[in-house]
Amino acid sequence: MSVIRHRSPLPSRDRMSLSRSRAPNRRRGLLGRRDGDARPEASGSDLRTPLLEVERVRLGYWLPGGFSEAVADVSFDVKSREKIVVIGPSGCGKSTLLKAIAGFIAPAGGSIRLAGRETLSPGPDRAVVFQEFDQLFPWRTVLGNVAYPLRVNGVSRREATTTARSFLELTGLGGALDRYPHQLSGGMKQRVAIARALALEPLLLLMDEPFGSLDALTRARLQRELNEIVARTSVTVFFVTHSIDEALVVGDRVVVLGNAPSTIKEVVDVRDVGTPDSPAYAERRRHLRRLLAAEGEEVDEDAVFV
Amino acid sequence: MQSSSSAVTAPRMQWRRRVAIYGRLPVAIRWVLLLAMLIGLWQAYIQWKHPNPLQFVTPADTARAFVDGWQDGSLASATQATLRLLGIGMAIGTGMAILLTAFATFTRVGDDLLGLLTAMINPLPGVAILPLALLWFGLNERAIIFVIANAVTWPIAINLSTGFKTVNPTIVAVARNVGLRGVRLVTDVLAPAALPHAVSGLRTAWAFGWRTIVAAELVFGVAGDKGGLGWLLNDARFNLETERVFAALVNIMLIGIALDIVFLLVERWTVVRWGMKTARRSLLVPPG
Repeated sequence: MSVIRHRSPLPSRDRMSLSRSRAPNRRRGLLGRRDGDARPEASGSDLRTPLLEVERVRLGYWLPGGFSEAVADVSFDVKSREKIVVIGPSGCGKSTLLKAIAGFIAPAGGSIRLAGRETLSPGPDRAVVFQEFDQLFPWRTVLGNVAYPLRVNGVSRREATTTARSFLELTGLGGALDRYPHQLSGGMKQRVAIARALALEPLLLLMDEPFGSLDALTRARLQRELNEIVARTSVTVFFVTHSIDEALVVGDRVVVLGNAPSTIKEVVDVRDVGTPDSPAYAERRRHLRRLLAAEGEEVDEDAVFV
Repeated sequence: MQSSSSAVTAPRMQWRRRVAIYGRLPVAIRWVLLLAMLIGLWQAYIQWKHPNPLQFVTPADTARAFVDGWQDGSLASATQATLRLLGIGMAIGTGMAILLTAFATFTRVGDDLLGLLTAMINPLPGVAILPLALLWFGLNERAIIFVIANAVTWPIAINLSTGFKTVNPTIVAVARNVGLRGVRLVTDVLAPAALPHAVSGLRTAWAFGWRTIVAAELVFGVAGDKGGLGWLLNDARFNLETERVFAALVNIMLIGIALDIVFLLVERWTVVRWGMKTARRSLLVPPG
C-alpha cells in the first residue's frame, strides 16, 4: 500500500526510456493502480493483446554430440497481470524456456515476443528471480542489492534508495537494509531477490523455482507472501516449478510440459481453486498429478506444501 | 572426582591445569610471553657461552642499533629505497598481470599462453633472473625493478584469471538481466566477484617481491651500489658492524609483518566483510 503511494509520483518516463522493450502506456497504468485487484480483467484495452507470446518455440543446447533438444514445440500466451506457472518432469526444458524468455538463450525455432517485440537479449523488463541463494551481489548490502540495478538503469541515487527501501519493506526486510547477503537466511535472500526484481518494475517477473531450495515452512510462507505482493504490484508472473502444490497456490494457469523434447500436454486453469482443503483444489491437484504421472514423474509430495 | 586422584598423578594434574590456563590467555599475551622467552634464551646464550661479539650481539645492542639506525636515517633511507623499488616493480607487475589476464580471459591462445608461461617461470626463484637483468639493463635499479616485476606478475596473473574464470555464473546472469553490459559489467560485477582471488594474488605477489628484492639488493650490494635494505645488510657485514646486521634483519622482519597486516586489514574490510572469504587467523590482529 505504502509502496504504491510512494511510487506514484515517480518520473517513470526517464526510466522507461532506458529499457528497450517497454510498452509505455502500460507502465503508467500499472503505477497508477491501487492494490487489491490483481486478476486480469477483460475491460482494459491494453489487455486484449497478450503481454507475452510464445509461438512454436523450439529450444535446446549444442552438446559435443550435436543438438540436444529440450523443448520441441511450445506455444502459449500470457496476458498482462496473469500468473503463469510452468510445470513438468525434470529435464523437460521448463527452466530453458524461462532462460529463453529472459533472453539468455536464443530459440532454435519459433519466436518469443514481449509486448509485441522480439526478445533478443536480457533486460530489466524481464527481471529474473533465480533458485540459487547466491544470486545477490555479496559486496552490496541488502539495500544496495535492490538500489544498484535501478542506478544501472539511470535512476538517481536518491530515488533508487527510496524505491529500494519501499520494495524491501514490502517484502518484509525493512529491518535488514544494512546487512550483507551472507548474514541472511535463505528465505530472506530470496525475498531480497524478489524485491530487486520488482523494484525494476518489470513487464514480466520471471521466477525460476525461486523457493526450490527452501524448507517447506519458509516455502509456504513465501508463496503466500508472493501472492500478496503480486496482488499489490499487479505484476505479470512467469513461474517455473516442479511442485504441483506450488503451481496451484501461485498460479492462475498452469502450463504442463511433457518429457523432453517437450510439448505442452495441457494448460490447466487453476484460478479459482481456493484453499488446499477445498474440493476444487483437490480435483485440480489430482488432475495435474495424473498428467505428470503419465510422464513417468514420481509424484510423491503429499501434503508437504499446505 | 578430583579428590580421588592419587598422589602420583597430582603433579601431572597441576601441570595440565597450568597448560589449560595458558590456553585460556588472550592470543596477544601468549605471543608476548613466547617472544619474551625467546629473547631471554638469546640473552642467556650470550651470558653463558660468550660468543664472539662479531658474530653474535645481545638483544639490547640490536635494539640500540635499530633505534640508532632510524634516528640517523640510515635504516629509514634504506627502507624507503627498498619500498620504492618494490612499489614500482609491483605496479609494473600488476599492470602486466592485468594485460595477461585480459588476454587470457578473452582468447583461448592467451589462456594457454598464461598457463604455459606461469608453469615455466613461476618455479624459477625471482632472484635467479638477476644476472640476466644485469646483462640487459646494466648495474642500475632498472635491473632490480625488472626482477621484481617478473616475480610479482605471475602470482597476480594466475590468481586474477582464476578469479575471473570462477565468477559465479548466476551473478553474471543477474548482472546481464538488470541491464549491465561491456565495461560496466567488468568493473561493477566481475571485478568485485574476482576480488578474493585478486587480493590473495596480490598478497602472494608482495611476499614473493619482498623476498626477492632483499636478495637482489644483497647481490647488487656486492656489486657496489648504495641503496636499500639488502645493501645495508651487506654493508654492515663488510664493516663488521654485527649489531647493524641484526638490526637490519629485525627491520626487514617488521616491515614484512606490517605489510602483511595491511593485506589482512584490506581483506577484512572487503571480502571477509562480504562473506566471500573466511577470515585469516592472525596472531597480530585480533579478530573482529
